[in-house]
Amino acid sequence: MAVTQFVVNGLLIGALFAAVAVGFALIWGVVDIINLAHGEMVMLGGYTSYWVLSLITGNAEGTPLLFLATIPAAIAVLYVVGYGLQRTLVSRVIGTDIFLTLLVTFGISIAIQQLAIQAWSANPRSIQVAFGDPSINVVGLVIPKMKLVAFVGAIALTAVLYLFLQRTRTGRAIRAVSQNPEAAALVGIDVEHTRAVTFGISSAIAGGIGAFIATILNIQPQMGLIYTLKSFVIVVFGGVGSIPGALIGGLLLGTVEELTTGFVSSQWTLAVSFTLLIVLLVVKPNGLFGEGAEQ
Amino acid sequence: MSTNESDGSEGLLRSIVPPNQIERVFDFCDAHAWKLLAFGAVAGALPPLLGLEQGYYMTVISEMYLFAILALSWDIVGGQTGYPSFGNMAFFGIGAYTTAILVKDFTVAVPLAMVAAGLIAVAFAAIIGAAVLRLRGHYFAIATLGVLLATQQVSRIIEITGGASGKILLDVPPGTVFYYLFFGVLVVEMAVVYYLSNTRFGFILNAIRDDEEKATAMGFNTAYYKTAAWMLAALFTGLAGGTYSLFNTFIDPQTAYNGAWNVELIAMALLGGSGTVAGPVLGAFGLHTVIEYVETAFVGWHLVLLGVVVVVTVIGFPEGIVGTLREYASEMDYYERGGMAAAGDGDSEVIDDE
Repeated sequence: MAVTQFVVNGLLIGALFAAVAVGFALIWGVVDIINLAHGEMVMLGGYTSYWVLSLITGNAEGTPLLFLATIPAAIAVLYVVGYGLQRTLVSRVIGTDIFLTLLVTFGISIAIQQLAIQAWSANPRSIQVAFGDPSINVVGLVIPKMKLVAFVGAIALTAVLYLFLQRTRTGRAIRAVSQNPEAAALVGIDVEHTRAVTFGISSAIAGGIGAFIATILNIQPQMGLIYTLKSFVIVVFGGVGSIPGALIGGLLLGTVEELTTGFVSSQWTLAVSFTLLIVLLVVKPNGLFGEGAEQ
Repeated sequence: MSTNESDGSEGLLRSIVPPNQIERVFDFCDAHAWKLLAFGAVAGALPPLLGLEQGYYMTVISEMYLFAILALSWDIVGGQTGYPSFGNMAFFGIGAYTTAILVKDFTVAVPLAMVAAGLIAVAFAAIIGAAVLRLRGHYFAIATLGVLLATQQVSRIIEITGGASGKILLDVPPGTVFYYLFFGVLVVEMAVVYYLSNTRFGFILNAIRDDEEKATAMGFNTAYYKTAAWMLAALFTGLAGGTYSLFNTFIDPQTAYNGAWNVELIAMALLGGSGTVAGPVLGAFGLHTVIEYVETAFVGWHLVLLGVVVVVTVIGFPEGIVGTLREYASEMDYYERGGMAAAGDGDSEVIDDE
């Protein structure tokens, strides 16, 4: 196996990590909360897509188009979940000790995880997407089609979010709240609603990516924490509040993990990414592209 | 006439639990803390001697002590110093594996292996602390969570830990031994934490929590104090872990580095009242009893309950039971004494609402 193949695999997977991390960074930047339940949104999105597909076809297998049709469902369901969580629970701890906000989101994460185990058992599941020919060959590189679809999907979701934040009225409101909630309230922005919308959007993207993850890697109720921590690694690496930073951070983390898998063993990927996290935090807590946590 | 408007429910509460009574209890506890601790130590040592032990309850109570140790250890750094660690279970796991490996693979004597568990955890804390204690708030919490998961993952991979399938330990001491071990560690830890909280060391830890920059500016070497507290927490957590692997007769990465336990012990400290000695211990006893009940009555639901408890505690009583009571007592105390002064000697200053 050539290094290029690992790098390509890493970039394909890394885009998924990046898109999850973008949502995480958005909540961190706008609501000023580290959402430790973010990974659970990925998990719930995966299950939503899985069940919708099962409902249509009778089992969790389908054509690429049918699978893509389940993505809006995952996005919509998770938007509602995220919006509701912010409105009912998270909003009550905003402005208190940051440690309490961490603990609340961790509590939510544990509760969702365990409810998911009760509902769907702890067995891993996956969505089978049928292609005539599962992979394509480009200059000696093998690229699985599903990974390519997921890669494009992840980039598209990130791009849509970026444009949404830049171009729409709601997007401007979100940016205003992230910069200065008091001033935003003064000019007539409903800060509470905007924060909940942000939470909803961020969860929705995580949910959409969860559906893609269900086709490539497995989904199971306890998968969430890993994605939350990976998001944290990526955001710390890219800098809080920077979407391009998160994108580059995600692609890099994916590459590092694939290279570890390729040259050492898949068992070491997690240990490597968490060690990377600690080293990064100690060496450069503001990230490579960061403008500092305040901005 | 002199009562304020929001008196409806508080008036009821006050007639049931008069704040000056609570104040009195607190005063009494403060004045006789050492005697109370000694009394508790004797009382706790009695049940097995009187033959009251029944296998199941003995185990449950031993576990209660175990969690009290863990919650109080967490609080040394989390509550006293204000560095909320999500990775304390790393010390526990390292302690657990140290004992298991020493006893099983090197046939070291059990007491020695347990002491080694504490010491290795302290050494690990010193190394890790140098890195993570430079971080604050969010970053510290996540970094410690990363440490926990990384050590768990490493234990899963390397050979000597028995990998993912873990280690089985037979030939362990009888249950009563563990009852006394957990209880003894808890009593010693309570004494140490209580003693320290009235020393310069304890005051500096609290100063770091309240305003680290000011503490540094006053010339205290905060890095030294933080690391010392962190190592102290690791010592007791490691000892508890080392004892636990023999107590449980089985250890694997999932049980040794139990992330849910880490949240459980934070919840216990917060529920009881962090930053105090009694709080984490009371919280551990209370929450463990509830969790034990839920675990037997509704199998598989206790973590859901834990999540709910955490959310409700944090939103409803961030000060915990002890903190809330103390606040209530001292707040009411202010009004009470003011009122008494007015009624007693008719001090002109306090007559305002006649």
